Amino acid sequence: MTRRSSICTFISRSKLWLVILIIFHLSLLTSSAQGFLKFERDTIPFFRGFAVSTDLVGLAQMQLGDHGQYEAALRLNLHDQYFPIVEVGYGKANHEDDEVTHISYKTGAPYFRVGVDVNIAKNKHSNRIYAGVRYGYTSYKVDIDCLPFEDPVWKNKTFFNVSDVPCSQHWAEVLFGIDAELVGPLRLGWTVRYRNRLSYDDGGLGNTWYVPGYGSQDTSNLGATFNVIIDI
Amino acid sequence: MRRLFLLLILSVVLVACSSIECPIENTVAVNYAVMKYQDGEEVADTLKDTLSIWTRKSDGTDTLLYNRGVNVRSFQLQISYTNPQDFFVFLVTDTFNVSTIDTVWVSKEDIPHFESVDCAARYFHKLTNVRSTHEAIDTIIINNSSVTYDSSVKHLYIHFKK
Repeated sequence: MTRRSSICTFISRSKLWLVILIIFHLSLLTSSAQGFLKFERDTIPFFRGFAVSTDLVGLAQMQLGDHGQYEAALRLNLHDQYFPIVEVGYGKANHEDDEVTHISYKTGAPYFRVGVDVNIAKNKHSNRIYAGVRYGYTSYKVDIDCLPFEDPVWKNKTFFNVSDVPCSQHWAEVLFGIDAELVGPLRLGWTVRYRNRLSYDDGGLGNTWYVPGYGSQDTSNLGATFNVIIDI
Repeated sequence: MRRLFLLLILSVVLVACSSIECPIENTVAVNYAVMKYQDGEEVADTLKDTLSIWTRKSDGTDTLLYNRGVNVRSFQLQISYTNPQDFFVFLVTDTFNVSTIDTVWVSKEDIPHFESVDCAARYFHKLTNVRSTHEAIDTIIINNSSVTYDSSVKHLYIHFKK
């Protein structure tokens, strides 16, 4: 199957390398002389508490568009250097009667991601610069409806209607992000993520469009979050 | 900080970029290959006669699908979206202008195929049976039952009598 080329196809081919280069470059610039994976020797305790956060990008997508997600995360702070994290959310899409194809697509399901962020900033105890990885999974069901359309040769009308088709997907993400203290325990931060499917079951439909927690398949593999974070 | 700001702008540009990737090859059709037996093996053949093919639309009128093919080694015919069985009328005219008519029935299962909300819905098919009359056609068999966007697959092998 041949896919249509576009400038975005070219960009998407180079995106993985771009993200990897950015993370590698920043890690070289900012990692301390003690090494990337070693704890700094100082008086700061090993366990520095928890942080809870929520993503505003998915929320905005949900309010402004026809798909998006509500997402919250719980993150451990180990010496301001390592941040094991669990992200859970509920993603949904309700695309009704596409103006060109007249296809409606509906899904909604919870998802989770687990992973770790590494603070690659030189001074690890103030604002943070992260490189991180995630593993994500969701199990979801899709409804797809299409208004009756005509067979081009036989000229009889047919329609396309499937409901509650079970699908699932495992995926991985690499990310780069920053966050900064705003006031008291409140922090703001953003991440940019490159996502890639590890394995998936599309329910025998050929493809699915919006996957909860992963996003829509016909956009780029890059995603972004803007997080409001509260240190506990 | 300036470097981070530029990085943020670049990231937003890349994240905002989206593309609609509908398949260019979006024709779902059955590919027929003209074959013969030679030394016990099934090999490609060429039909010297002239071949035309019709089918009947849902309103009862006929429509021409393949017009006066000569030296035919393979050809492609559309497949209906959801009819359980398609039938085709093959008109084979030899070099003496003698015509022979055969009917071919192709039975199938229809599988809804979805790419994206931006791409038109299609049906893929699984061929379950094929049969024909035997005036000009000797045999017709299923070689590959899966009918998709892949135009390189030869789905049916057809043997003519001469």
